[in-house]
Amino acid sequence: MNLEDIIKETKTYYCLECGKCTAVCPVSRYNSNFSPRFMLERALMGFGDELIHDRELFSCLACYACSKLCPSDVDYPVFTQKVRNLASGEGEHGDCAHSGTLHTLMRLMSRSDIKQRRLDWLDGCRTSEKSEVLYFVGCAPYFQPVFEDIEVNPVNIARNSIKVLNALGIEPMVLPNERCCGHDLLWTGDVETFKKLAQFNAQMIKESGAKKLVFSCPEGYRTFKIDYPRYVELDCELMHITELLAQNLSTLSLRAKRSNPEVKLVTYQDPCRLGRHLGIYEPPREIIKAIPGIKLVEMEHSGDDSICCGTSAWTNCSSYSKEIRVERLSEAKATGAELMITACPKCQIHFKCTMADKGAEKGSDIKMEVMDLVNVVANAIDI
Amino acid sequence: MHRENRHKSVLVIGGGIAGIQASLDLANMGFKVYLVEKSPSIGGRMAQLDKTFPTNDCAMCILAPKMIEASSHPNIELLTYSEIEKVSGEIGKFTVKIKKKASFVDWNKCTGCGLCLEGCPVIIPNEFDQGIGKRKAIYMLFPQAVPRKCVIDKREERPCKAACMDACPVHTNVPGYIKLIAEGQFKEAYKLIRETNPLPASVGRVCYAPCQEACNRGQLDEPLCICDLKRVPADQWNIEELEVPVVAETDKKVAIVGSGPAGLAAANDLALRGHEVTIFEALPEPGGMLRVGIPEYRLPKEILRQEIDYIQKLGVEIKTGVQVGKDITLEKLKKDYDAIFVAIGAHGGMKLGVEGEDIPGVMEGIGFLRATSLGEKVDVGKKVAVIGGGNTAIDCARTAKRLGAKEVTIVYRRSRTEMPASEEEVTAAETEGIKIEFLTTPSRFSTGNKKLAKMECVRMKLGEPDASGRPRPIPIRGSEFTVPVDTVIAALGQVPETDFAKKLGVSLSKRGTIEIDVRTGGTNVERVFAGGDVVTGPAFVIDAIAAGKKAARSIHQYLNGQPLEGEEPGKEPEKFSQAEIEDRKRRFPPRNKVEMREGPVKKRVQDFREVALGYSLEEALEEASRCLAGQIEGCIECHECERRCEPEAIVYTMKDETIALKVGAIILASGLGLYDISSLTEYGYGKIKNVITAMEFERLTAASGPTMGALKRPSDGKLPVNIAFIQCVGSRDFRNKTYCSSVCCMHATKEAMLAFEHHPGTKSTIFYMDMRAVGKRFQEYVARAKKDYNATYIRARPGRIEVNAENDNPIIWYEETTSGEIRSFEAELVVLAQAMVPQITQDLAEILGIELDENGFVEVPDKLLQPLDTTRLGIFACGYVHSPRDIPDSVTQASGAAGRTAEAIAGGK
Repeated sequence: MNLEDIIKETKTYYCLECGKCTAVCPVSRYNSNFSPRFMLERALMGFGDELIHDRELFSCLACYACSKLCPSDVDYPVFTQKVRNLASGEGEHGDCAHSGTLHTLMRLMSRSDIKQRRLDWLDGCRTSEKSEVLYFVGCAPYFQPVFEDIEVNPVNIARNSIKVLNALGIEPMVLPNERCCGHDLLWTGDVETFKKLAQFNAQMIKESGAKKLVFSCPEGYRTFKIDYPRYVELDCELMHITELLAQNLSTLSLRAKRSNPEVKLVTYQDPCRLGRHLGIYEPPREIIKAIPGIKLVEMEHSGDDSICCGTSAWTNCSSYSKEIRVERLSEAKATGAELMITACPKCQIHFKCTMADKGAEKGSDIKMEVMDLVNVVANAIDI
Repeated sequence: MHRENRHKSVLVIGGGIAGIQASLDLANMGFKVYLVEKSPSIGGRMAQLDKTFPTNDCAMCILAPKMIEASSHPNIELLTYSEIEKVSGEIGKFTVKIKKKASFVDWNKCTGCGLCLEGCPVIIPNEFDQGIGKRKAIYMLFPQAVPRKCVIDKREERPCKAACMDACPVHTNVPGYIKLIAEGQFKEAYKLIRETNPLPASVGRVCYAPCQEACNRGQLDEPLCICDLKRVPADQWNIEELEVPVVAETDKKVAIVGSGPAGLAAANDLALRGHEVTIFEALPEPGGMLRVGIPEYRLPKEILRQEIDYIQKLGVEIKTGVQVGKDITLEKLKKDYDAIFVAIGAHGGMKLGVEGEDIPGVMEGIGFLRATSLGEKVDVGKKVAVIGGGNTAIDCARTAKRLGAKEVTIVYRRSRTEMPASEEEVTAAETEGIKIEFLTTPSRFSTGNKKLAKMECVRMKLGEPDASGRPRPIPIRGSEFTVPVDTVIAALGQVPETDFAKKLGVSLSKRGTIEIDVRTGGTNVERVFAGGDVVTGPAFVIDAIAAGKKAARSIHQYLNGQPLEGEEPGKEPEKFSQAEIEDRKRRFPPRNKVEMREGPVKKRVQDFREVALGYSLEEALEEASRCLAGQIEGCIECHECERRCEPEAIVYTMKDETIALKVGAIILASGLGLYDISSLTEYGYGKIKNVITAMEFERLTAASGPTMGALKRPSDGKLPVNIAFIQCVGSRDFRNKTYCSSVCCMHATKEAMLAFEHHPGTKSTIFYMDMRAVGKRFQEYVARAKKDYNATYIRARPGRIEVNAENDNPIIWYEETTSGEIRSFEAELVVLAQAMVPQITQDLAEILGIELDENGFVEVPDKLLQPLDTTRLGIFACGYVHSPRDIPDSVTQASGAAGRTAEAIAGGK
């Protein structure tokens, strides 16, 4: 596939060069080298080579703020994904943060002979060998050692997800040899490895006999729902845990923590993959509103207007990413909220990372408590 | 088909400029044209514009002559406020069914004078002004409407019978003024009440409110507190600001004897008709019973003074301290004045007829109240007995309490059931500690220490009804008892003192009341009229006002040498049937009335402060919102327009009418609609106040618009001198309308020029995609905007509009596409060029049997060779409904369609 094919397939020739995308792009706001419109323009004007070798090709967060309002209906993230695939064929991969550890882990999981010991954290959770429901854990166990120092405990999210499912009377299956969903590799151009991961996952899930897959990670959910069907066949109902919880609020009899008689103000960060990618805005809000002792105040940009947490696929994480986060945290602070609730483990990691960075730049002294919604629910029902 | 057989007539659908042009072309060719338009007037979108490009001529100045030409052309029949229901047949022989919507105004009588509009209490956002301005339920579409007629926007039936209006002796427009109160229009409410009652604030404190008895809501839960609401406008607005109208003076002089409510009402109405009025009042203060009969704690004198003051401002002279019959004779008045109205009321007290009633300390009630209200010193002692059972007796008792009496007892010869005093008054008296001895009558008063000391009473029982219809009280022998008293006030009733009228030969009844012709208020003596308590005996304030107004009407006719027409009697108040009660209970959840708060008892009896505290603003709005008539949108049938319409053109019972027309061909010219852009949430339309649409901007700058042409921005009415225009909002957009709306590049440029003309120096910044200036001299127009009108063009499509909370300025975020920089731009006003859509529904397309394309424009069978045809033979299309285009192109197409149509049906005979 070459660039012309990509343009034809994605119909990006409709682009009118109006600049609406760039005007709302969170990256463009700080990084003057990046402009979705400019990237497209180079592709359309025959500067494909320049485009493929531009570092900024890997700066797009695929947050969909642009395509949501593009008058020419251009799907810029999909265009980027395909061009990145082309670029990877020419040795361009973007800069993977954390010295490439995380992508390496994902690639390792694409080996057929890998045996993982990834379920030691299951104490206190009730799982089952055979259930209609399968809880897809995602990379939480691997993130745990990498990000423990900034007080993110991804494994807690996984643990609490299962405990909350237990409270609903569900004892889900978990795959002992689950693979990474492949989101990050797909979005950085490594379609081949992605395919392998997808195939392994699909195979194991089929063998498990699961009918319903529950995710606590929006990226895994989006990838299974939108990207997998192109490569594998999976006959399961897919759900994010917030959707499931929102359907069962009465069963979850939420009680406020005894030590907290006052009402705490909280705000909610819509994860891009849950919000603009999948259109899920209300269920997390319904859950927050049902929890006594906290009151939701919306940030200036919320819902489908939300602003991304600033880094995608661990790639091209830079000072611009930090500026995006600092502004978003300022918005959260401006609501008067003491706690920012998210529904994506990566959002949490990125925000906490910026707050932990003791650099001297403006605004990096913002302090805001950040918690995953599943943990908030788990606290509220005292499990 | 043979052309001879084709009807030589055409139906043109849509009265905009294209429809008008096509109609004129065809009419001038000799064809009969039916021009159907669904709104009340022709003119279409062009009538909403301020100016038109590229000449910047005033739109209405160009349009109006065409509208007049169309309406007066012998071959054109205008059918406005009408819609197409059915089309059958084929080219040359169509039959079209048209529904003429009920306008509730007889257009054969309506002169377009607009007097009806002023009184209508229903205020609605004006669609012609894009919701910026307001109109009434009865309205004319715009000032230059053709035809120049009003229509009533009646959407639902009024849910009640307006029994209040029928029960009121002066037929005050109750639903109207309550609606105005509910809308916060207090000055208008006061003026509306004043149409029928010159003393709203005073009457709103003392009326016996037959309207409330009749109120249909009372059949569901509780009647509206109409009386309490009547004083609200005066509470919420300063009535001393009421303007005095300029009235042409006649050379007639009228004398009014007595300045009570009857005299004041007559004076008010006669002065408003230009006559010179003089009131002769025997007492030192004007107002009659309102002033000297009703105590201060029920009706503060200051309120009454303000309302009497206004009547004097109208030119009425009140001469106090002049008693007709003593200081001046009735004969002299008859010589000096062209007409006389006798309204002296009934101020004579009645004697008890009991031994000892001449002992000092036994006083007559009316005199007691009069003395107190005129500020004279009255000593009531400690133990007071008030004889009587009417409102006067209660007034005397409560007044005595306030003057320091320790014990006050009312002695009444019948029981509570027969007591004529109103329930509220009796309750108020008992709350204030006043005792009532029922079935008791005094038989003798006696002294002790040369002063009044004892009252002997006898108990009564009720026997057969007497002349008044009430049971006759019969003393019970042996039930006599004595009570100590130091003051007795007899409040047995009032009689008029009419001896002075005998000399003129005015006919009096046995009771001493003046006899009149009840239809006109005239006495048997020419030039002399009478009304109020002097005619009826003691009655209510509102009855006196009604009598005064009736007499004024007759006097006016008499002075003009016209025959005296009595008023037609009104109809009886109607009640809901049981079925209607069930239905209304279903539709309207029960709501209790808002009680009038009263001052705390212990404090209020110490002086004469007003007891009723008046509704707060919230209470007033809440109570007003209970009115059933006001529950609906649109006309509430309050009859105010009917009252003011001199040609008598209002017809509430009008129905839609269906007619059938035979035409040979049809031209569709239904024009353009405006796309709803609130779905483009990134621009904040509907959320950010100073983000408006282009059509709203036109209405702001148009001289006949809601701000009379003042460019005022929504948040604070300030003149914006830094305006941003954003193009292609909803157009050229795969998510909304994919096509280009064609005219916006030019109209934004025009609007930038208009803004500069309104205020030289105004800076306009236009955010565009391309500048589509495709007509003759259009590109030069754009160049002129840059050169002479301070317009800057930036190539960008903004991504988002935020707002500066400090000054409500919108902030635009965009990428400057020639440099790639992201910038923000703060403007004082943002104007969005909203997409325009063909104004035709799928329903109408089906009725016409034509196809529309995927964007709703008329589908054309052959774009190259038959561009004005539709997919049905004999139906042609032109203007925006055909394809996006500006006015000159629409007019061109209209003439083209006329040509095509003529070709289709001409020929033969």
